[in-house]
Amino acid sequence: MNLVHIDELDAIEMPDGFVWRPVRRRFGIRAFGTNAYTPGASGRVVEEHTEQQLGHEELYLVLRGRVRFTVGDDEHELGQGQLVYVRDPSLRRSGVALTDDAAVLAVGGKPGAPHEVSAWEYMFTASPHVRAGRFDEARALLHEGLEERPGSPPLLYDLACVEALAGESDKALELLNESVAGSERFREYAQTDEDFASIRDDPRFPR
Amino acid sequence: MSDGYMILTLDAAESAPHRGSTLIPVRHTLGFRPAGVNAWKADAGGQLMPPHEEDSGNEELYAVVSGRATFTVGDESADAPAGTLVYVPPQVHRAAVATEDGTIVFVVGGSVGEAFEAGGWDSFALADGYRQAGRVEDGQKIMEQLIAEKPGYWAVHYNAGCFESLAGNADAAFAHLRRAKELDAEEAAPYFREDSDLDALRDDPRFEELLG
Repeated sequence: MNLVHIDELDAIEMPDGFVWRPVRRRFGIRAFGTNAYTPGASGRVVEEHTEQQLGHEELYLVLRGRVRFTVGDDEHELGQGQLVYVRDPSLRRSGVALTDDAAVLAVGGKPGAPHEVSAWEYMFTASPHVRAGRFDEARALLHEGLEERPGSPPLLYDLACVEALAGESDKALELLNESVAGSERFREYAQTDEDFASIRDDPRFPR
Repeated sequence: MSDGYMILTLDAAESAPHRGSTLIPVRHTLGFRPAGVNAWKADAGGQLMPPHEEDSGNEELYAVVSGRATFTVGDESADAPAGTLVYVPPQVHRAAVATEDGTIVFVVGGSVGEAFEAGGWDSFALADGYRQAGRVEDGQKIMEQLIAEKPGYWAVHYNAGCFESLAGNADAAFAHLRRAKELDAEEAAPYFREDSDLDALRDDPRFEELLG
């Protein structure tokens, strides 16, 4: 039987201090998006974010422990078996664990559209490899993402970061320019991104 | 819904009897649109979701929120304490029985490569619970709400037809079922032939037209 306890899922600690527990990826689910989260160093369980970019509706179900959610200007302390459904993608939401054992299951997607695997799943999966300098592993995961989502600007951007860190300046510049051509917001991100320190003075760097 | 979001406490939320189980109709209650989400609750020895298979392409993930359950998927059985996630691929038989009081299992479902559309079996379960409790009009309101959300989808009219059939309103039932047939005769046909919810209509000459 294809079953797993939340504590047995991969634990990928993100820089924001929450731990991503890949569920969709663990089971190879294609029909919908779902992931679990547990607290990391900062005690956060749900990253502060909106879903404006993707237009997703999301629900966050507390599977264990207690969590303080902030949705817009409101705060709610929820325990096991309680959920918050955020219908409005523009609402800023986040969650902080009130107990060490807190675990949250998130389910989300864009109404009226078939589920597409989000680019960020590949970026999150690659992230510990990037931080540890395991560039081949990071490249493989981001290429896997690009096969699933060809031309995805955020994936091209992340791959550009990896190539810049790995000292592959030509590749990094090419990928970064491709990313900016796909979505202008990456031009702005690139200006202050420390990953690009080695290529920022190159004339090909997007200004 | 206040200001674009909503809080729900599963064990305090409204529930409905459905095929020997107790459904917490989460999708209906929230109006959640990206996927099918629901929950089942039972005390020790009680059935959680009704044993069933899903159609080709339909994936389901079950999460044990509280208590403990024994899951059976295909020929295999496993103990699933709170915090367990169980993935079940399409067309595989699945069942779960609570082994502790107060067990709640949350389920997410959807179809690969297709936008989720609520056919409303869950809304129907809630409406039919009202009907059995003598609150036919409250049940009708639920089915009207479902149709208003997705008026062009055959399944919502079909489920409204089932509700009216069970409520003894043949005229209303036939109106809904005809609409379901207009929208997708091919999908609806096997249900017309086999669904016991429509038994009260089968001797009516209008039923022949539906099958034709």
